Parts: sequence; structure tokens; C-alpha cells
Amino acid sequence: MTKAKAVVIILGAIILGCTATISVALAQSAPMTDAQITQIKTSCLSVKDTLAQLHANDALLRVNRGQMYESMATKLMTRFNNRVDSNHLNSKYLVAVTQDYRAALTIFRTDYQIYEESLSSALKIDCTKEPVSFYDAVADARTKRAQVHSDVIKLHQYIDQYKTAFDEFVTGLMNFTGSGN
Amino acid sequence: MDENIKTEVLEAVQPVLSFWAQRRYLLLIAISVAIAMFLVSVSMALYNSSGAAQLDLSRPGYSAVTSQAIKNDSNFANYPDTGTLDKASIDEFRALYDAQAAKAKAVDAFSGDPLSPTALEISAPATAGPAH
Repeated sequence: MTKAKAVVIILGAIILGCTATISVALAQSAPMTDAQITQIKTSCLSVKDTLAQLHANDALLRVNRGQMYESMATKLMTRFNNRVDSNHLNSKYLVAVTQDYRAALTIFRTDYQIYEESLSSALKIDCTKEPVSFYDAVADARTKRAQVHSDVIKLHQYIDQYKTAFDEFVTGLMNFTGSGN
Repeated sequence: MDENIKTEVLEAVQPVLSFWAQRRYLLLIAISVAIAMFLVSVSMALYNSSGAAQLDLSRPGYSAVTSQAIKNDSNFANYPDTGTLDKASIDEFRALYDAQAAKAKAVDAFSGDPLSPTALEISAPATAGPAH
């Protein structure tokens, strides 16, 4: 019985893994038409120009937003947690949210690096000679950019979560102070 | 005659230098260049792998946006991490946090889909048929 369950679980995992791999492969090698290949070759220069502009703008966005997100952690969250701690109050939940936020920030940095490398690779491809490879590289960069956006949304959620934790902490502190009087 | 004696004496006194000893300055320069190249390779590898390359807006191709980078975030005040925690300090933190959180969330960074075939105008024309 236990063996049968284990076999079912392993088979299920294999099927899921295969399905995911196949779907990724299919997404990357979406069928291209002759017209589309011609279109890529014709507008190669303008597309590359657009990509170069996006590359530069995203780098600027990464620098400015990254600085802002980093400051939220170092200049506000961690400092408030330290102050709570130095007053011998319970900062456990605030610290937990800060740690989650910092972990999300690390993922954001890594995912951006992966995306940038992917976009740089796409820019290096000669789209007049290798339109299909170029199309696939751009599709890959597109997926990775979407992942960076999803990381940004998570960071915003953690910023809200910290505010909720802060409000709860303040309510608890006021109740404690009120009961102490 | 005297000159010949002088030359013989000089040859006898001077130590016989090996091939590499004779070229020691050349060797010194070659080793120095090799060490410098090795160190540059290590630093370039670190520059690329650490993610610093992605933040370096002085690279070629970024000149148009370099001036827009925020170089000084002195507007972002540091909350003091020492002192008592009273109503005033809590209110101060709330004001600081709300202001900065609003700024952080004001931009939905990396949103949109600028890399889609439609946005890049590389999608198949509506009239196009499948590839042969």
C-alpha cells in the first residue's frame, strides 16, 4: 500500500515535471510564420534600437528603485526594529516581516541580473541573420522581465505588511501602556 | 697588447650569467604584465558576477540615462534607532514611513509588456499564412 502510494507520487511528479518542461519548450519555440521572419529581418534595426532604449531605461529603473527599496529596509525598518528592541519590547513580528522583505529584495536583485543578461544576449544576436534565435531570445527576456515585475509587486506587499505589523505593534503598546496606568 | 690583457682580466672577473639572468628585466616586465592581466580578469569576473555591472550606468549605451540616476538620497531621512519609544517617536516613524512607502509604491516598475511581439512590431501580419 505504502509502495503503491510512493509509486503514484513519483509518477505524478514525473508527469508534472514533463508537462512543465514541454510547456516551457513550446512557449519558447512558438511557431513562426515566413511573414514574421521577414518582418523581423526588415525591422531589425528599429527593433534593436527599441531594445537598447528599454535596456538603458530598465537599468535606470533598477538603480533608482533598488536604492529606494534598500533605504526602506536600512533607514526605516531595521532602525525601528532596533529601537523597539532597545526598549525591551517585542519586535518579533516586525523583524520577521523585515527579513521577508530583505529576502524579496535579494530575489529582486538576482532576477533583475538574470533579466539583464538575457536582454543583453538578445541584443548581441544579429536579427538579419538569425531572426528565429533573436525572437526566442526576446521571448526569454520577456518572461524574465515579467518575473522582475512580480518581484516588485511582492516588495510592495511587504511594505504594506510592515505597516500593518507596525500598526498592530502600536495598538499593543498603547493597550499595554493603558493597562499599566 | 695591454688591451688584450685587460679584456682577458675582465672576462675572468665577470661572473657568467645564465640565459634568464641576462634577460631578467624582460622577465620582470613579462611577469608583472601577466600578474596584472590575471588580477584584471579576476576583477572583471567579480564585476560581472556580483551584479555590479548591471548597476553601472557609466557603461557605453547608458549615457542618455546617467544624468537621471539618483546620486544622493539625503531626502530619505534615517529614523533614529536609539531613544525612548513614546507617542512622539511613533508618530515620527509613522510620518516618515508613510511618506517613503508612498514614494516606493508610486512607480509600478517593470510593468507593461514592452517586449511583446506586438509592442516590438515583430508579430505576424494579420494576412500572413503559416510557414511552409
